[in-house]
Formats: sequence, C-alpha cells, structure tokens
Amino acid sequence: MGVENVIELRGVSKALKAFTINNMDLQIKQGFVTGFIGANGAGKSTTMKLIMNLLQPDSGEVSVFGLDYASHEKEIKNRIGFVYDSNVFYESLNLKDIGRIVAPAYKNWDQKQFKAYVDQFELPLNKPIKKFSKGMQMKASIAIALSHDAELIIMDEPTAGLDPTSRRELLDIFQEVMVDGKRTILFSTHITSDLERIADFIVLIDKGEILFDKPVYELQEQYAVVKGSTELLDSDTEPHFIKIERSPNGFHALTKDAAKVKEVFGKHVVIEEASLEEIMFYMKGVQNQYD
Amino acid sequence: MTNLIRRDLIIQKFQLYLFIPCILFFIFAGSHMSAFFIFVFAGFFIPINAYSYDEKAETNILLNSLPYTRTQIIASRYIGAIFYMAVSIIITTALFYVFNRPFTWADIAIGAGITLTLFSFSFPLFYLLKPGNIGTAVTIGFILFVVLSGPAVIFFEEYLTPVVDFLVSVSSSAIYLSSAGIVTALYAASWIISQIIYQRKTF
Repeated sequence: MGVENVIELRGVSKALKAFTINNMDLQIKQGFVTGFIGANGAGKSTTMKLIMNLLQPDSGEVSVFGLDYASHEKEIKNRIGFVYDSNVFYESLNLKDIGRIVAPAYKNWDQKQFKAYVDQFELPLNKPIKKFSKGMQMKASIAIALSHDAELIIMDEPTAGLDPTSRRELLDIFQEVMVDGKRTILFSTHITSDLERIADFIVLIDKGEILFDKPVYELQEQYAVVKGSTELLDSDTEPHFIKIERSPNGFHALTKDAAKVKEVFGKHVVIEEASLEEIMFYMKGVQNQYD
Repeated sequence: MTNLIRRDLIIQKFQLYLFIPCILFFIFAGSHMSAFFIFVFAGFFIPINAYSYDEKAETNILLNSLPYTRTQIIASRYIGAIFYMAVSIIITTALFYVFNRPFTWADIAIGAGITLTLFSFSFPLFYLLKPGNIGTAVTIGFILFVVLSGPAVIFFEEYLTPVVDFLVSVSSSAIYLSSAGIVTALYAASWIISQIIYQRKTF
C-alpha cells in the first residue's frame, strides 16, 4: 500500500510576468514534514500560492485532500492552517480582534487552544500587530494556524527575516507541533539548515522546475560531496557526478550515488556527507533528477 | 458571510467613534447644505472606509486563505454596503430628529439612491485597480468631474426646460419607482462585474 498524498499537482502550468511554471508534478505525502527548498525566486511562493488557490493554474490540476478547489474550496481551506512570510493580518488590530475575525471563519475553531498558544508564546492580546516584532508576528500566525485542528499546515518561509534565536525557538515549536504525527506539514525555506532537524522529505525547486523529491535519509545516504585531484576526471568518471567544480587545487563535485563513487575511486578521493545547502548549491541550473 | 460583514465593524472600531461627531458637525455647521447631501455622506462613510482596508494585497491573501470563496467575499461587500448604509441613514435620521433639523423622505430616498450609485461605480473600479492606485484614480475622477461639470451645466441649461417639463408631467411616484429600478439595475450590474474581476484576480 502506497503513502497517501495530501497535495497533488498534476501537469500544472502557470505563466506569470517574470516567471513560468511548466507542467509541474508534485505530491506531498500525508503525515510527514516536507521541506520545500530552492533559492529566492525559484518558484516556492508561486507553488505555495497555487496550492492555496491564491493563484489558479493556466492548465493542469491541483488537488488537496483529494478534492478540487472548483467545488470544495471551503472544505479544503477549513482543513488548512497557513503561515506566510509576511504579516497578512490587519496590522492596526490587536490579536484579540484578529482572533474575532478569524475564529468564526473556521468550523473547528478552538478558542481554548488559541489561548493556550497565546500564553505559551507569550503574545500580548491588546497590542496592535504592527508593534509586534517579526518573531512575534510569526508566532501569532502559527497560533492561529494551529487553533482549528488543521490537518495540513502550509508555511511559506516562516523563518525568513528572523534572528537566529527566534528561528531556533520557532523550529522547537514546529517540532513540538509535529510530535503527534497526524499532521502534514509543507514548509518552504531557503535556509536549508532549518530542515535538517525536522523534515522527512525534501523537494528541491529551481527555475520553476522540481529537481527532486526525496526522503531525507535517502539524500543523506546517496548524495555526497566528493573532493579529489582533477587528474581523476575523464569522460568515464565524470558521469558519476551531477556537477563538478574545478579549481587549481582539484575538484569538488556532487554525486547522487556515493556507494558507486566509493567503488570507482576508492581511497583516491575524499567523500563527505552533503548538506542540503551543498546539494541546493550544486543542483542549481541542473536538469530534472527525478528517478 | 455575516462574519465577513461583521468584520467591517471590528476593523473600523476607532473610526466609528468619529461617525456620530461627523454627522453632528454636518447637522450644525452645514445648515446651508441640503439634507440629502448629509445622507449621502453618512451612507458612504462606513462601506468606503471598510473598502480602504480590503484594498491591501495582504488582506486579500488573508481572506482567500480562510475558508471563504471569492463569490462570498464579493457578496459580503455588496450586501454589507447596503446594510451599513441603511444603519447609518437610520442613525442620521435619528440625529436629525433629535436636533430638530428638517428633512423629508425624499431627502433620504435621494441620498440612498446617490450613495448606491456611487458604490456601483467605485467598487468594480477599485477591484480593477492595482493596490495603491486607488488614490490616483480618485484624483483623476475628481479632475474629470471638474472638467466635465462645465459642459454638463451648459448642456442642462440648454435642455433644462424640456427636462423639467417632462418631469412635471409624470407623477412623482413614477419618478421614484423608475429611479429605484435604475439604481437597483446599476447595483446588480456592478456586483456582477466586480465578481468577474475578482475571480480572475491574482494576489
């Protein structure tokens, strides 16, 4: 039995002024944390907006919980909690009034839960949102996203613009939230280190194209950064690498088959585990690696 | 839907405190003004002010991420405008009464008719424009109004006598009924146009 997909994009195309998504397929698995990574401008936010129906595809299908937006928009959105990279709440209002506006929109709003998060995050109820720090605004957003029993939490760059301490704090909150394992979380970021602790799957996007969608353990097992002398490179050995960077001191390259590289080069090269950041860096400009 | 309409009150809490003083100011300082003009101002105040909040892209992202459909968001705007206009006119009428300022039912009817006509033109225009451009649009609209009002006056001077003759010849109830019909049709058309524009909007 396969894993069920909470989000499915099938052949989705969308042309925007500065940007195009062409024939994108994407599946987000239920009950897992998927990290959505890519450089700034790679298409993360556009994809998130397509998933939230803030943008409608020119062609292709978007389904969430197996439902389409055309006939189930309200039902889908009742089951989603959202956190965006900037504050979307009326900034002159305080959190109490924002709660008053948001609460009646959801079928399953839980005021007690909301209060509990507000207390836990030490958020003031009577201060206008615009006087909140960026970290507090994010926490307010998360408190709202988690107070209506959402099955799917969509977060677009929730850690962007935060100082390291607040980021750490926020990641701890996410980890706590995910403990029960029922929720599905889609989390986009360009700060890949955020994901190494919490993601189960990683989707990499570049120039509007999904380069891969893999479990984190597979990335850690199979991908590696290889360093060695340029003399080792020739038309036979080069195909083992996704991308090679040459310098007078030798080469650095990314492989997605660490075992094979070990077999071929043996002790002539240094093989190191590739961080997500390194994978993202080397994969930039590379074609689809789906397999 | 009622949640969306109620939202306008929560957002404008502070501005609402200004509402009654403003009307009182008009009642006392604007004794030379026609009563219907004060009704127009009163009816226009809350819905247009609410609209200025919805203009922001962030607000549209919020509303569209909550479990509402775009159809509901537009419907709440049009139904809410009528609702808040009615409440404002009732409050203003009460203030007129309390402070002994004379007015007629015709003032209320004309005031409501003009307000609804203004909504009919401004709502679709606002949905059509990019956020931040509404101020420019209002300025251009005002200049056009000033420029066109000259020729309009000349036009009316020329044709006023036949128009007045015609209006006198039909009964006043017929005039009110047909005006009500025209305003209703205008409002409905405006609603449909806004709906079409908003469905296609990207945020």
